[in-house]
Amino acid sequence: MKKIIGIGTFSLALLGVSLALTGTGNSALPQVDPAYAKECGACHIPYPAQYLPKRSWERILGSLDKHFGENATLSPKALQPIKAYLDSHAADAASGNPRIMRDVAVNNTPLRIVEMPFWIHIHHRMIERKAFDAPKVKSAGNCGACHRGAANGQFGDDD
Amino acid sequence: MKPRHFLAFSLILLMPVMAYAGAAQKPIIDGYMAAAKAENAAFSGFSADRGKAFFLAKHDASPETPSCTTCHTADPTKAGQTRAGKDVAPMAVSKTPDRFTDAEKVEKWFTRNCQSVIGRACTAQEKGDFITFMASL
Repeated sequence: MKKIIGIGTFSLALLGVSLALTGTGNSALPQVDPAYAKECGACHIPYPAQYLPKRSWERILGSLDKHFGENATLSPKALQPIKAYLDSHAADAASGNPRIMRDVAVNNTPLRIVEMPFWIHIHHRMIERKAFDAPKVKSAGNCGACHRGAANGQFGDDD
Repeated sequence: MKPRHFLAFSLILLMPVMAYAGAAQKPIIDGYMAAAKAENAAFSGFSADRGKAFFLAKHDASPETPSCTTCHTADPTKAGQTRAGKDVAPMAVSKTPDRFTDAEKVEKWFTRNCQSVIGRACTAQEKGDFITFMASL
């Protein structure tokens, strides 16, 4: 019984975080831009534009020749629509959810979503750190290892 | 041997090499062939064996990606995986027939991956050898 209550509390807590983040209970993000999905999604899931501020995306796109240990350069022609998409859909864009930016210091430019306070708050409070090191997961940046719908912007507890 | 016979004999010798690259890959191979001749007057054709050695070689330009095999695995007929955990379709043309058929895509990935793994641009001969190897499997 104690276990069931534990699981129930855990689920409710997760649900609470989802609701708090989305405000609607629907955790699916809007459709990902096709150019962004094609180019950036070739190596990793197209990480949601909505989960980093504009300044972060700018720095990432400005240093694609040294992209987390790999060269990921794009032609200026390929880069242009991606830049425009990320800029207009970033966490601090007009369309952004202010809760995603909570506790991000103005002088902080996170380069990984896993460095964002909202991400740490949700994941590290509930999931053991070692779970991210499991061989099937490889890294916390491999969202799809747990969130099956990650590639389509679905990060709910059941996705 | 008469010059004409010699020419015919040479063509017969070259045939297996030409047969390596799939028909769909020929335009891209031809492009690198012209570039390789321009780079090196002594260039005498691409080699699947050289391509294989190049693919398997270990480099020290980057601790994250010391070899092509870091992501593609040592068996190009098998799917690989990026460091971020995404599947990469097999490089072998027999498994992924549309490999090396889009010149822009091929150049994009050689540009990135040669810099990542070797720390410099690849030569046209290295690219042609690589594709010839992948088309031979």
